[in-house]
Amino acid sequence: MAGKTALAQFRDRIGLTRDVRRIVYVYLAAVLVFAAGEIVHPGFARLDSIAAILTVASFVGLVAAGQTFVVLIGGIDLSVPWVLNAAAILLVTSSLGEDGRAVYAVLITLAMGAAAGLVNGVIIAYLGVPAVVVTLAMNGIMEGLTLGLSGGMTCDSCASYAPPVVQDAVHGSLFGFPTALILWIVVIAIVSFVLSLTTFGRKTYAIGNNAKASYLAGINVRLSTVLLYALSGFFAALTGILLVGFGGQASLGMGDPYLFQSIAAVVIGGVYVLGGRGHYLGTTAGAVTLVALVSVLLAMNMPDYGRNIIYGVVILILLLLYGREEKQE
Amino acid sequence: MSTEAAIERRRTGRLSHFLGQNVGLVLALAMLVMAVVLYCAVYWVEQAALPGMFELTSTVNNTMSLVLCGMGQAFVVVTRGLDLSVGGVMDLANALAAVHIKDTVGSMVGWSLIILAIGAALGLVNGLLVAIGRLQPILVTLATLSIYQGLAIRVLPQPGGSIPPVYSSVLVNPNGPSALVYVLVVALIWYAFRRSSLGVAIFALGNDEQAARANGIDTVRAQVAAFTLSGLMSGAAGLFLAATATAGDATTGNGFTLSSIVAVVLGGMNLFGGRGSGIGVIAGAFVTTMIVNILFFSNIDPLYQSFYEGLFLVIAVVLGALISRLMRRRS
Amino acid sequence: MSAGPSATSGPIAPAIEGIKLSKAFGGVQALAGASFSASRGEVHALVGENGAGKSTLIKILGGRLRPDAGQVRLAGANVQIASPDAAHGHGVWTVFQELTLLPWMTVAENLLIRREPRGTLRLIDRARMAEQADAVLAGLGIHHIDPRALVEDLSLAQRQIVEIVRVIVQDPDVLLLDEPTSSLGENEVKWLFGLIRDLRRGNKCIIFTSHRWNEITDVADRITIFRNGGELGTFAEIDETRAVTLMTGQQVDAFYPERPPLEAARPLLQVRGLTGPGVSELSLTLRAGEILGVGGLAGHGHRELFFSLFGAAPISGGEILVNGRRVRISSPRDAIGLGIALVPEDRKTEGLILPMSVGTNLTLAILPQLSALGIISRNREGRAARNMVSKLKIRTPGLRNPVQQLSGGNQQKVLLARWLLADSHILLLYDVTRGVDVATKHEIYELMTSLVREGRGVLFYSSDAEELAHLSHRVLVMREGHVAAELEGPGITAEDIVSAAVREATSLVD
Repeated sequence: MAGKTALAQFRDRIGLTRDVRRIVYVYLAAVLVFAAGEIVHPGFARLDSIAAILTVASFVGLVAAGQTFVVLIGGIDLSVPWVLNAAAILLVTSSLGEDGRAVYAVLITLAMGAAAGLVNGVIIAYLGVPAVVVTLAMNGIMEGLTLGLSGGMTCDSCASYAPPVVQDAVHGSLFGFPTALILWIVVIAIVSFVLSLTTFGRKTYAIGNNAKASYLAGINVRLSTVLLYALSGFFAALTGILLVGFGGQASLGMGDPYLFQSIAAVVIGGVYVLGGRGHYLGTTAGAVTLVALVSVLLAMNMPDYGRNIIYGVVILILLLLYGREEKQE
Repeated sequence: MSTEAAIERRRTGRLSHFLGQNVGLVLALAMLVMAVVLYCAVYWVEQAALPGMFELTSTVNNTMSLVLCGMGQAFVVVTRGLDLSVGGVMDLANALAAVHIKDTVGSMVGWSLIILAIGAALGLVNGLLVAIGRLQPILVTLATLSIYQGLAIRVLPQPGGSIPPVYSSVLVNPNGPSALVYVLVVALIWYAFRRSSLGVAIFALGNDEQAARANGIDTVRAQVAAFTLSGLMSGAAGLFLAATATAGDATTGNGFTLSSIVAVVLGGMNLFGGRGSGIGVIAGAFVTTMIVNILFFSNIDPLYQSFYEGLFLVIAVVLGALISRLMRRRS
Repeated sequence: MSAGPSATSGPIAPAIEGIKLSKAFGGVQALAGASFSASRGEVHALVGENGAGKSTLIKILGGRLRPDAGQVRLAGANVQIASPDAAHGHGVWTVFQELTLLPWMTVAENLLIRREPRGTLRLIDRARMAEQADAVLAGLGIHHIDPRALVEDLSLAQRQIVEIVRVIVQDPDVLLLDEPTSSLGENEVKWLFGLIRDLRRGNKCIIFTSHRWNEITDVADRITIFRNGGELGTFAEIDETRAVTLMTGQQVDAFYPERPPLEAARPLLQVRGLTGPGVSELSLTLRAGEILGVGGLAGHGHRELFFSLFGAAPISGGEILVNGRRVRISSPRDAIGLGIALVPEDRKTEGLILPMSVGTNLTLAILPQLSALGIISRNREGRAARNMVSKLKIRTPGLRNPVQQLSGGNQQKVLLARWLLADSHILLLYDVTRGVDVATKHEIYELMTSLVREGRGVLFYSSDAEELAHLSHRVLVMREGHVAAELEGPGITAEDIVSAAVREATSLVD
């Protein structure tokens, strides 16, 4: 009895119990996928293999942080692929691979991402245009601008590498942990803190559950919306920087997979797609599960196009699972 | 008051009703006229002549895919949904056409019908997931977009295959604007749809789902039908795309998800459902092509095409929002 | 049109019966084993306070809702009415309270939906459709509704009439009308009652709900009284005092608390010439310690008035003074900062954030005061919330439970408590007792009077004229967006309010 109350208290402290359970399930799912991978492909669950998968997952997880923010208010950001891609190219072309210009390049790249998201947010919040349409248009705008300004990646500076400091920062390790992973853990801590303990997080959940009632309770819904979309752009740009640091060079189309991956991670992570419920901790588990699953399938020689199909099927299955649950209430 | 005066008054009443209730359509047609005029002007500056039959033919041929998938998108937009899988369905139709259609009448007719049926089936899957699974249209079609694109690459891993020249010239005759017939057919499809029970059901659903149900309308059936029609039209759009390119590429359809929404928005449809005209969407599709033509003559790098598409989409939705806000304030 | 196995079930079987019908919505028992019956050739009124279960009953009979338990009988035969279509098949047609017109379709399309005239290729003939709609409307004496107009552009009264016409032309055997007169003026009500009497002569069964006692006694043959989801009996003859006592479960005098005395108090809120969508040239003054009632027919600008005073609807002219100072209110945030609070009619969609906790809902408007550097202090939040829970006696299992687990009345109290936490002095209460059980209603009345005793001012709109008459110091009756009459003093009656409201400048019917 005493144990039960302690558990109940613990649940209460964290928040909505069912949502916590869901996050735990997603982590269990990730573990299961690793176990299955080890069975079909011995060595899959070795530490270095896990670290490699987690590093890839961290990229998905960072994009998905922004996606989580907008999905929590019932929105969606379809501009992720080309904001990310533009950021990657902007980083190499503005730094020209020189360490001396790295700080400047990183800052303007992040600012560009946040600005693209800000524009999304302003049009969505102040003009009431559906988020899908605005962010889809923004994706086209960023694509066209990127292609046009880089001359289809033929520009001289387009072939530049990421500054060594950026590359080292992504590839390096601290106390035996890859730095990319450490960065992700820091982001996880900050985003979780913001969502759970701040007025900004509280407002985000309130708007996601009921924007009208939130507005009538005095919350500046428009401002929050703009900030959330700006954050999504920021995280897409951040991921672009890390990816180009990871791979060395930028390329066209490098952002394409991240739209489906970020949305799949959010959906797998139990964030309710109409907004108001879920947590970034779930999304992180979703990112790990998704990347591990795809890695297992690739290890089983799944052809490339199979990945597209897997993303779609996974999103659909989880929508059906969670959708059913919502309906019963 | 004389009877003529009464009839006259009634006519003007009807006209003002039509204008007031079809602002989107009227604006779309006005935009089309403006785009054509601007195109002629730019053409005149560059070529010192007016565009002729050749330009008309290539414009109509190049726009047919967008007319078709835009109309498909329109059916879904009326239900206040969006179909993001349009591009994926077109990819798959395009790939199947390039791989399978051979130079015999049987193959051309048979495979065209099969591909149209597949398009409708893909739309049906979307519709069932949305209506019976009670899922968000955007997320469902985003997921199926990924799946359909994957399947298209499975069918045609590398660009290639071929389309028989006869097939191409039937769909998109390079020697004359005969494809205008298809535009007329699409317009007639909309005309009939709007005057059918299915049209009433789909529009009622987009007006107010609860009220539609209270009126005894089977909203589930209406929603499934809207997505199925969208899939069917996208399948047809994929065939035209293959015919225009004369070969297959499993990725060229991707951009049409965005373009179809551009056509719908430029066509004056309301994205919140229940309002709008497919005739406007046809105009919107042509406006989109005219814009590309104008940019071409203005010597703008074609690499910027999606930039301008996105920009015009944003401008169109922003203007649309402002106009409807103004009208609401005045009433 | 008519159908059903009536022949076998004897000559005296009622046209329609509900037997021990129950329906619950998420823990709230809207209908608890209610029974009633009505016969052919009868006009039957269902009366009761808001939330007594009348609308739920009508929705069950009309096929919009399925009962959790109980049985519906038509002409003595058990039936399952699974959908509106099924009801129509039995000759049962309903005018629902939430109108079911399609806003962006024309009046003609709405009138003739699914029965459109067909032309070549079975396509709908639009010209003929408009003519038919014209004929239908003219045949019923309606000349001021254009069949080619969009429903969106009609007034609420016009929509109500279209909704009624649409059902009447179906020649129903059993006609259910849920609050058909709430937006209708005097002449339109007469028109409707004329139609109802014609139907009665045609041996049809008509069931309707209303809040207006005069109307009920005017047209009804029998009255069934409801309270808290159950029926208390059917009467052919009953006087108003007795009916109200049954509906509220108490003597009228005990049910409504005494009005606190109104001293020569300073004005809290002054509105001069306010104009905006739905509101025109409206002026009013709300004094400290006053309950200022606002009444009138539905759709005459009340909601717009309340929302624009709260900064949630646009204003194009006029001025607002708070505590004698001219203010600009362009968002709810501005309003809250000035001590204004709005409790909207629909607490579930506009007031509370249902899935979030009681504590969160209580403190939502004062987050900045409970946080430092954007971080919420859980201690301060908990203290503030607990304070209010005990002050207003909110019955909740805990602060962390979702507010949707609470009963309707307690939800309403959470909303009021939110504004007390925000230290609001001007309370805009918009139909707050709608869908609340009788006991909680009484508590809300007590709360309102205690709030004005503390020197706050309450602007109070209610769709229930009885409530307005008993609680308000003064009542403003709105018509077409402005104050058409001001009633003052303890002698205000519900009839006074209704008769001031239904007087109309233009009539939609002959």
